[in-house]
Amino acid sequence: MKKKRAPVWVWLIFLLGMAYFFIPLLSTFEFSLRMIKGTYSFEAYRVAFSDPAFYKNFGYSLLWAMLTIIISSIMVVWTAYWVQLRLRRIRPVVEFVTLMPFVVPAVVLTFGLVRMYGRPPLLLTPTPIPLIAGYVVLSFPYMYRAVDAGLRSIDIHTLTEAAQSLGASWGTILFRVIFPNLRGAILSGVFLTFAIVMGEFTFASLLYWPAFGPYIEEIGSMRAYTPQALSLVSFLLTFLSISAIQWFGRGSREQQAQVAGAH
Amino acid sequence: MAFLEIQHASKLFAETAAVQDFDLAIERGELVSFLGPSGCGKTTTLRMVAGFEQPTTGRIELDGVDITNMPPSKRNVGMVFQAYALFPNMTVGDNVGFGLRVNKRPKEEIDQRVQEMLSLIKMPELGKRYPYQLSGGQQQRVALARALAIKPQVLLLDEPLSALDAKIRVELRYEIRRIQQELGITTIYVTHDQEEALALSDRVVVMSAGHMEQVGKPWEIYNYPTTEFVAGFVGTLNQLRSRVVNAQVGELDYHGQRFKVSGELPAGETVIAMLRPEQLRMGVHPGENQLTGKLISLAFLGAIVRMGVELGEAVVTLDALNERRLALPKVGEPLTISFPPHAAWVMPVD
Repeated sequence: MKKKRAPVWVWLIFLLGMAYFFIPLLSTFEFSLRMIKGTYSFEAYRVAFSDPAFYKNFGYSLLWAMLTIIISSIMVVWTAYWVQLRLRRIRPVVEFVTLMPFVVPAVVLTFGLVRMYGRPPLLLTPTPIPLIAGYVVLSFPYMYRAVDAGLRSIDIHTLTEAAQSLGASWGTILFRVIFPNLRGAILSGVFLTFAIVMGEFTFASLLYWPAFGPYIEEIGSMRAYTPQALSLVSFLLTFLSISAIQWFGRGSREQQAQVAGAH
Repeated sequence: MAFLEIQHASKLFAETAAVQDFDLAIERGELVSFLGPSGCGKTTTLRMVAGFEQPTTGRIELDGVDITNMPPSKRNVGMVFQAYALFPNMTVGDNVGFGLRVNKRPKEEIDQRVQEMLSLIKMPELGKRYPYQLSGGQQQRVALARALAIKPQVLLLDEPLSALDAKIRVELRYEIRRIQQELGITTIYVTHDQEEALALSDRVVVMSAGHMEQVGKPWEIYNYPTTEFVAGFVGTLNQLRSRVVNAQVGELDYHGQRFKVSGELPAGETVIAMLRPEQLRMGVHPGENQLTGKLISLAFLGAIVRMGVELGEAVVTLDALNERRLALPKVGEPLTISFPPHAAWVMPVD
């Protein structure tokens, strides 16, 4: 069958969309190459990557992201699984709680953390616990929704019961049956969380912890070209995370499509 | 003492009774079907045996051991679900061997058992495939092999063929029976398909609204239903509300036409005479009862020809075996139907 060609106006809207997204990026990239007057060079990138503070802040952000991902994954997967399996009636409550970062601004959340944990008896602000806790809350909407969508796409009730009837314990069910079938969904949440934590500014800045976001802001107030280069690095991280979601999600989508076709 | 005993089990969901006073003893190696319409409590009863539901009252014993409060993972009961429930991330072989791996059996034993099971379901070459690469019928075979691999004491099948198309359903039905008899495994089979239950089972439990209506061998259930529900649910049934003329000789009157039934008549002036369509014959046959009505429908179904005969307030269904030389009446013409007195049985009017 001959494929129908898309009309011209569809292409026009597509090109407008692409221009809207890519012109600012290309402009930033072009600007970042003009550090040495009269010629294009990667000098801004060289300067950015030769700064030890870059590695320190980037490293800290990586650490915060890893800790957030571990804690958030365990909390969210268990919760979403249990809500789907046994506590469906509290789903609206859980969904509301996970949307908190969209409702309460990050500044308010941070001040709440400082007021609560900035003085005895629970003095935690000298430790990164409030920061990680804040990031975990920040990751909820992305992690929960990704995992919940994954759980809804498989019949976890029957899979759980099938595993139970074969003698599996809860740990075995979760790690051998549920987790592997949620791989794509969990990784979507993981990469979104990673991208968000790597570029986060408010929590790290107000709680005084080194991180990539405040570092870009600090450099931006002192230099012209290097922050543009770092912004592009930050964008690249997000782009790579989204690509990874697409890549890992591809297998499970194919599998589901074929299962649907087999019936 | 029976191998599996469900003793006066009831299950309440909030205020609703899903199962009431279910009492059944199943012998070792027996295949018992729970048959009934949706919501009759058959799956809930099966799930109580599996351990996924706790009976509100009553007790379940398996081989002399009380398993009423035992978790499902400890019961050694194999279960096959309507939705197959194969683990999508595992190959066929891994699915079949899952229960053995969970029970930490040696690798050699697992490999050997998996191969045995795949041969049993006639899929020895497909161990490396993933569930999504199999048809529905193949997936259900694998689910059966997986449930049997752990050598369960009881096999539970929850409408395992409902999601399959008609031809595969019939094929797999006999496959399940063959495997069950080969292994001699005690089995409970839940279905709403009466033909499936009658074809497969040693005994059938007919259920309605959480109650056991009748328990018996398939031919008993079909030929000697003890309640109006069973009579109506299992097979097609003609019901003629008739007046008792002479209780001693079993003579009844239906819209001015008299006929006789054998056996004792229940008390009352009015009774319901029950007749199966295949026990009725076209035309006049000496020594048999005769009722005359008008043919209003005729459907050719291959092996049989199904006719609808308007008779008083009822439309009586008659099934005639198809023969090449069968002379069929025309729709709209009068038609006499015959049946021997022993073909009809009588129930009281509620």
